[in-house]
Amino acid sequence: MKNKIKVFRAIHDLTQENLAQHIGVNRQTILAIEKGKYVPSLDLAFRIARYFGVSIEEVFTYEEESPEPPG
Amino acid sequence: MKKNTYYLIVGFIAILLVFVIWYSDLIHMSMLIVVCFIAAVALLYSLRRYVTDLIEDERDRKINEQAMMRTMQVFWVVFCAFSIGAVLQMLRVPTLPPSFGRIPPPPGNEPSPIPTPGSVPQGGPGEMPMGVPDTNHTAIKDTLPDLLSPRMIGYIQLGLLCLMIFLYVGFRIYYERKYGGWETDEE
Repeated sequence: MKNKIKVFRAIHDLTQENLAQHIGVNRQTILAIEKGKYVPSLDLAFRIARYFGVSIEEVFTYEEESPEPPG
Repeated sequence: MKKNTYYLIVGFIAILLVFVIWYSDLIHMSMLIVVCFIAAVALLYSLRRYVTDLIEDERDRKINEQAMMRTMQVFWVVFCAFSIGAVLQMLRVPTLPPSFGRIPPPPGNEPSPIPTPGSVPQGGPGEMPMGVPDTNHTAIKDTLPDLLSPRMIGYIQLGLLCLMIFLYVGFRIYYERKYGGWETDEE
């Protein structure tokens, strides 16, 4: 799961701490989501998207793992 | 209340509990430490609600859940096996089968299964008279001593509990790292 939280944060001139306070989570959680270490729940993903005023698909992108080539 | 104040109170209560353990041993009343421990945990849970800067979000809950689940997966087997064994030991069930490890008597000295008139106890065939040593039971006791006294069972269970806490902390650190807990900040 990829996301553009960092980009949206830059657009809105927000620090991780600011965003975390508005969303109601820890700063470490925002950091972990940005780094792709933690996949947020649907609830949290919607809250983040709504805070930036965009749809969830604009913030989060689901990428399937590429299958290994045959042979 | 600030988070650091809460942690200071936790430390203070932990030190206080150590003194209560010592005092309950001094006055020979184990119920004191049991009641104090439950009261301390209840107090900490109620104080936790007043901490303003302690946010537990879904990532924290997930880390807690996974660490506890892994700990229990390892420990419930050990705890159950040990507790069942301890209960049976307290019911005086021998640790190993009576035939295990016994040296057979030399030929000609086998105990007779048919009681002779002089060997029948006074209270009836099923009872052993006072003062007569129970040689058969003593032989079993000699070869199969109780592996664990009740005191030792208590110590081992306490040790297992401490080990479980260490294991939980280890799993928690592992999942904290897995979910990006100690990532470096680029800001």
